[in-house]
Amino acid sequence: MSSNASPQYDAVIIGAGVSGNLIAKQLGLAGKKVLILEAGLPVPDSREDYMNNFYLALAKTPESPYPALAGRTGSATNPVGELPNPTQLPTPRATVLAIGKGPDVSYLIQAQPWSETNPGSKAPPQNPPPDANGNIFGLQFSSTFERNGGGTSWHWLGTSLRELENDIQLQTKYGHGVDWPITYTELQQLWALAENEIGVAASTAEQEPLEVVGLVYPPGYEYPMQSIPMSLVDEAVSTGVAGLQVPGTLPDTPGGSDPTMYNVFVTPTPQGRNSEPFDDRRVCAGNTNCIPICPIQAKWDPTITLGKALDTGNVTVSYQSVAYNVAVDGTNATRVDYYVWSRDANGNLTKVSKSVTGKIYVLACHAIENAKLLLLSNNMQGIANSSDQVGRNLMDHPLYLTWALAPEPIYGYRGPLATSGIESLRDGEFRKYRASFRMEIGNEGWNFSKGDPYTTAMDFIQGTNNSGVNDGGPNGTPQRLAGLQLAEKLNNIYTRQFRIGCMFDQSPLPDNRVTLDITNGQPNNVDGLGIPRPKVNYGLDPYTMEGFRMAAYVCSQVYQKMGAKEFTVNGVGGAGDFTYQGVNYHYYGAGHVVGTHRMGNESGSSVVDASQRSHDIPNMWIVGSGSFPTVCTANPTLTLMALAFKSADSIIAALNS
Amino acid sequence: MTTNPSTPPSEATLQAFADMSAALTGFQSSFIRPFLDPVNLSGTFYQFAVSQVGQPRMDALMSTFASLSNQTPKLTSQQIADTLLETMLDAPSLQAQLCQSIVGMWYLGSWYVPGVLGGGGFSPPALQVISSQAYTKSLAWNLAQAHPMGFSAFTFGYWHQQPASLATFGVDTSNGGGQ
Repeated sequence: MSSNASPQYDAVIIGAGVSGNLIAKQLGLAGKKVLILEAGLPVPDSREDYMNNFYLALAKTPESPYPALAGRTGSATNPVGELPNPTQLPTPRATVLAIGKGPDVSYLIQAQPWSETNPGSKAPPQNPPPDANGNIFGLQFSSTFERNGGGTSWHWLGTSLRELENDIQLQTKYGHGVDWPITYTELQQLWALAENEIGVAASTAEQEPLEVVGLVYPPGYEYPMQSIPMSLVDEAVSTGVAGLQVPGTLPDTPGGSDPTMYNVFVTPTPQGRNSEPFDDRRVCAGNTNCIPICPIQAKWDPTITLGKALDTGNVTVSYQSVAYNVAVDGTNATRVDYYVWSRDANGNLTKVSKSVTGKIYVLACHAIENAKLLLLSNNMQGIANSSDQVGRNLMDHPLYLTWALAPEPIYGYRGPLATSGIESLRDGEFRKYRASFRMEIGNEGWNFSKGDPYTTAMDFIQGTNNSGVNDGGPNGTPQRLAGLQLAEKLNNIYTRQFRIGCMFDQSPLPDNRVTLDITNGQPNNVDGLGIPRPKVNYGLDPYTMEGFRMAAYVCSQVYQKMGAKEFTVNGVGGAGDFTYQGVNYHYYGAGHVVGTHRMGNESGSSVVDASQRSHDIPNMWIVGSGSFPTVCTANPTLTLMALAFKSADSIIAALNS
Repeated sequence: MTTNPSTPPSEATLQAFADMSAALTGFQSSFIRPFLDPVNLSGTFYQFAVSQVGQPRMDALMSTFASLSNQTPKLTSQQIADTLLETMLDAPSLQAQLCQSIVGMWYLGSWYVPGVLGGGGFSPPALQVISSQAYTKSLAWNLAQAHPMGFSAFTFGYWHQQPASLATFGVDTSNGGGQ
């Protein structure tokens, strides 16, 4: 197409996930013609194939139901089976099974842990050392994502908390991090739109106790549907922690102290799953499987909004279409170049290069993929990056997991994966000195913590103690049990298991960064289409790690107060292991990938403005959690959809002007 | 007793395998192999185990179980399970290891290679999930008085209520077990 022809579409959106689908729907409703380029496979008519992939997966990781890892079967010598090589895949993505692995398995190119670089070594394992400022780099970015129709939020948990007012003004209030360029009042209006789109089940009355951390709703606001009942696990924790208080900081916290005592209490979590029939979808049946996949779509996911977008009659999706260049002429984006990939009858990958034009371009393909595409464009010179902030300030909610046995049965493994949390410690003066965190109470026993019911069952069948609970034999040796005694022992343990996950408001660090894996302009590692893969540097600063120290303390206080016995174990030398003040910790990825195209008022220090419009390229929006200046204390999906509503309004206004 | 691996096991063999599985797992035999059993996990598991360890080893185990079942005075299910799994011995024999793998199939729906142990905080790596139904009917979840993750037959809000008894979930809690 010649450059002076009319654009083919009003808007070309790259990525069919939360933001892309929502913006497509809003534009479609406004009569705008939209093309969505989705890199991955189409949304299937039925989720049965995905369910079957999940049932048959040995490791039931978040990625397990989704294409490209499905169908692997092991052998006696390699029970997990071969993991696919990203070099041979058209849309490889970060996966849990690849964390810490080399480029032949891991899509993301990043530092490997000691355990991978010293295979078979008998030497004591090591964690990366701190630098002169106490930062620890060379860690593994452990969050993963999907590249398929619907995106990563096929396997979001459904947690739909709002951010706190002080979350978005951390610099002004506490002198740490950066502020958001948007008011809390405006966010409240946007959250209401997102809560209605998702169908969030919650009660403002039940959230009222969180006024102590600044959570307030506009007068008269009500959620779209009644709240999800608390689990018996939630109630046991809620009752057990009654009266518990913890200080804002621990002794020897670098930088200062906050001796205020904060109340620890449990509140039900606002959740994007149906407590009543909503939007032609069923109520939640408590499959305890929100991650990796809700079997009955009682949990909202982006394919629902995509369906509504398509129903407008103005939206088209092109699947298996991987954007690799956004052309910019002067200051405006003029064209997207993309590969349409397919596999022939023999499984060989083929690609056809195409281009498409629009008046507006929207990058909505995930925080890491957005950064990758911006850096790839203009012959790998990058676009929209006069601030040099593209790819920087990569954040997650690093997740610290602790687990325990309650004194009495509390019946986990039932209900949605998480229905309550401890949100009462999310704000306070301590944020001057350490990272804040929320605490998510799990309803899945020790499934996340120890891979149960598998690990404990095999322990008592085989006489091992990988779970930590099989030490009831003579002198603490493991027991081997049979029949009814085995069944009753496992019943006694499974029904008392529970866990808490703590998620931190990690500091934005410019060196936590997504770049292209290239040297002197030449790619080192590519995907199956020949596109350079993302390279990731990741680490934690003392502010964030001090949050871990506090979280470990609070969890131990919670368990003590409940009369529960803690079994948390942190390793050394593996992916996600680090040492702070002589104590070992482990973090998981939360999948909350943020910061790589931060929003701000100043074009010199941010990539997009508050409507997620590029400072540099006025007809391009870069959307999603990558725009978050800080990761805050709430799970990000609700807020990233809220921001997408704002973007949609600004795009429509731009198209109408 | 079936001796030809290419033919499906006989009704008598399947019932004996189910009875043995019930004793090993602590579940009711009628739960392991219901009167109406369209899923037929007994048949699936029997044949899968034979495919892994060979017919002679399975035949030998079934003979041991038959002789234990026919003892007088009659052994309880717990005694049979303890004998087969050799819980009193320091190291299980190859036959007891096969029994461990059979328990693993019923509890976890997967095949654990006999004698391969976990370590370092991790369960042993399973060879494979035997089938979708082997997962959705795996019994460890019943021991949690729950359901396999991703396969709930319960309805909204059940998690706010006490679960049904362990016996309702199929465990044979009748006086130390019985056949």
